[in-house]
Amino acid sequence: MAAVSMTGIVKKFGAVTAVDGVDLEVADGRFVALLGPSGCGKTTLLRMLSGLEAPSQGRVRIGGKDVTALPPERRNVGFMFQSYALFPHMTVAANLRFPLRMRRGLSRSQEDARIARALDLVRLPDVGQRKPQQLSGGQQQRVALARALIDEPDVLLLDEPLSNLDARLRDEMQLELVELRRQVPITTIMVTHDQHEGLALADDIVVMRAGRIEQQGTPESVYASPATPFVADFLGAANLVPVSVEGGLARWPDGLTTPVDGAPGQHTLMLRQEDIAIVQPGAPAEVELTARIVAAAFRGSSLQLSVEAGGARLRFGAPVQGGYGVGAQVRIGWVRAAARLL
Amino acid sequence: MIGERPFAATVAMLLLLLLVGVFLLAPLAVVAAASLSAGGFLVFPPQGLSLRWYADVWGDPRYVQAAWTSLGLALITVAIAVPLGTAAALSLRRPGALPLRGLWEFLFLSPLVLPAVVLAIGLLILASNLAGGPSKAALVAGHVVIALPYVVRTVTAVLAGVDPATDDAARVMGASAWQRLSMVTLPQAKAGIAAGAVLAFIVSFDDAVLVLFLRAPTLETIPLRIYAGLEFSPDPGVAAVSTCLILLAAVAVGVTDRLLGGKQVVG
Amino acid sequence: MSRSDRTEAALLAAPGVLVLGAVFVLPIAAVLAYGFFRDGVPSLAALDWTSWSRLFADDYYLGLATRTLRLGLVVTLAALLIGYPLAIAIDAAPRRWRTWLVLALLLPLMTSVVVRSFGWLVILGRNGPIVQWLRELDLVDRRFQLAYTETGIAIAMVQVLLPYMVLTLLGVIGQIDRRLLEAARVMGAGWWTALARVTLPLSWPGVVGGSVLVFAVTVGSFITPVLIGGLKLPVLASGIYASAISENDWPMAAVQSVALFAVVLIVLLPYALVTRPARGGVAR
Repeated sequence: MAAVSMTGIVKKFGAVTAVDGVDLEVADGRFVALLGPSGCGKTTLLRMLSGLEAPSQGRVRIGGKDVTALPPERRNVGFMFQSYALFPHMTVAANLRFPLRMRRGLSRSQEDARIARALDLVRLPDVGQRKPQQLSGGQQQRVALARALIDEPDVLLLDEPLSNLDARLRDEMQLELVELRRQVPITTIMVTHDQHEGLALADDIVVMRAGRIEQQGTPESVYASPATPFVADFLGAANLVPVSVEGGLARWPDGLTTPVDGAPGQHTLMLRQEDIAIVQPGAPAEVELTARIVAAAFRGSSLQLSVEAGGARLRFGAPVQGGYGVGAQVRIGWVRAAARLL
Repeated sequence: MIGERPFAATVAMLLLLLLVGVFLLAPLAVVAAASLSAGGFLVFPPQGLSLRWYADVWGDPRYVQAAWTSLGLALITVAIAVPLGTAAALSLRRPGALPLRGLWEFLFLSPLVLPAVVLAIGLLILASNLAGGPSKAALVAGHVVIALPYVVRTVTAVLAGVDPATDDAARVMGASAWQRLSMVTLPQAKAGIAAGAVLAFIVSFDDAVLVLFLRAPTLETIPLRIYAGLEFSPDPGVAAVSTCLILLAAVAVGVTDRLLGGKQVVG
Repeated sequence: MSRSDRTEAALLAAPGVLVLGAVFVLPIAAVLAYGFFRDGVPSLAALDWTSWSRLFADDYYLGLATRTLRLGLVVTLAALLIGYPLAIAIDAAPRRWRTWLVLALLLPLMTSVVVRSFGWLVILGRNGPIVQWLRELDLVDRRFQLAYTETGIAIAMVQVLLPYMVLTLLGVIGQIDRRLLEAARVMGAGWWTALARVTLPLSWPGVVGGSVLVFAVTVGSFITPVLIGGLKLPVLASGIYASAISENDWPMAAVQSVALFAVVLIVLLPYALVTRPARGGVAR
């Protein structure tokens, strides 16, 4: 187990700059999610941590030791690949034995014991003699995880671990990962483009964009207080409205004003979908606005409404029972503090 | 073959397949049939059926010697071409790792297209200047050259299906370059290597051009014997040996198809 | 892409490059040397054009060259005209048929060319089935045979070269996205129209590639023209053999080789430069 530190990291591939000045500190035992759209540099960063890529500039430290010049085979990291990268010509047990063999120093029976323990950890005690192709996607993923952990690495690196699984399996695996973490509290860095995964699993999230870090912090703090519209929109679907603020009032595009907390000037107003609701009779909201329903999509347990209000488009959910139809006028409202200025 | 295809098209295609199928296999069928001829003349259709010519041929010491020579040559060719070709294919698998990649790729594959005659003359010139005349070494060299592209292609085809992340994974787990090759990459490519070996074998065994130019008294191969037999009036014995070559080709085709599972690599 | 990856690639490529350099590039260079310089030793003083003038002045050699080129063109065209519909047919066939069809293409390819030529000699010969049939129809006299004619050579060579063309085309046609054809059909194109307007243009690289391949191999062919055509219908390759082995005239052999090599390169190089195979040149 070790802390990870990346300072001044720049990575260029020819004319393309994949990572443009990143400083990242991960404390010992923390689970960090690198979140961002494809091409933002998060996977490159992960590969530089593992040694599979070398930074053009900057230094990488694991456990205080400068490993920038060390090739991957000499670092002590575990890496789980998006494609799992299980060796198809070896059994599961042989796959798990591989990293132990490479490090040497263990007797055969010690290796066997570790293999058995690793398979127990991911709750697949009986698959040792099978080949990876004979396992389901979820099982392969767990074997890949076990293989990454079996040699007790300092750091665990996960590259889009759940993206190859279908939705239901993904939820299951998220819970399993949380449970696994409890048993093996290893410093972990995960790359994902799925904000739900990041929010659910990580102690800290790092939102990246175009090779740079936009914001980092705990999931709760980043979600509640996004620093930029990009972060706001990336984590949870946010409504973003350009407003000008003066004297405690935000002026919406069509001239309407709503009370808001914040300094005067041009801002982006952010309203999370879950913060907007249709005002029920007898239960007025702190801030209210008249809206016209433009579209309604049935989501099973709720309706996804798209409305026009204040000259802007807002999206939020509403109960199915309301019978809200296109063209109807409704009053929508929110708690004053929910409207944040970015 | 039925579908939203106009009936005329389906009929035309079936007819075409039939006719061309016959066209492609006709010479082979004719030779095989002629080899079963009971009489002493080579005619098609054969008069009477008998296997006597096969017995004749395999009892003839010249043919047996030629078979051994062909076999030995082919095995040596495989032994050299397969490692070289496999290594060449491995060197090409990561785009960007090898500078001037297109040039090397062209070099490795060009013997498929460039005339064997020119190579034969060149080897003859070199062999005469350096070794006093054509030699087994020159012939082996020629065979390796024409066999190499086949190995490169089959291995490349199979490598294309190998997840490059397995190499990365092995690296992170502590494997050295040699360990990655021998324990991770090559085992995954073994079907391609085996198929390449079969193709290299058959290309060498079948060769008639290089052996003709680099002919030496001790270097008589089966194709050469057939060629010699054809220069005069061939007897059904020549047809019998030829049919054996056809059977060998059938085995080779069947084995490579099994190994590669339908990836088309020849052509 | 790390430095060790680059080192590894270089180390892996090196043996093949060195061996090919020694037994492929060097021999060809030797031929070129003998084709231009007396005794094959390059130097300005040794530049020797006598064999070249023979090549271009002597009717025999000119005949060789024209026959070779003629064969190349005829065989390529025939292979294309037969091969393209055949590739379409194989591509359209159900999977189980397809395996057998491809194996039927591969079997002749993997059989030694002497055997294939032998078969044609029998078929095209005086007592062969085709000629017998033509005689029965009273179209030809008793001494007619297709062997030892250029037509005979062409027929045999088409059979020999057809698999190359078909396999190349199959590779390209197989890569065409089915959905493009479906889209065309949905937009109202008939089966033939879709073939002409979608498949044909998209398979063009295969047409060019296959043609280049077939032409190059045809003009370089030796065994089939020699066996089927005999001594009276030589091609460049047989001319090379005659000069080198029968007449011991190496400069003449070299000159013809250079000419042959040049013809192949002229056809091949533009194609190779324009179409860089994406990965290892699997489907040409």
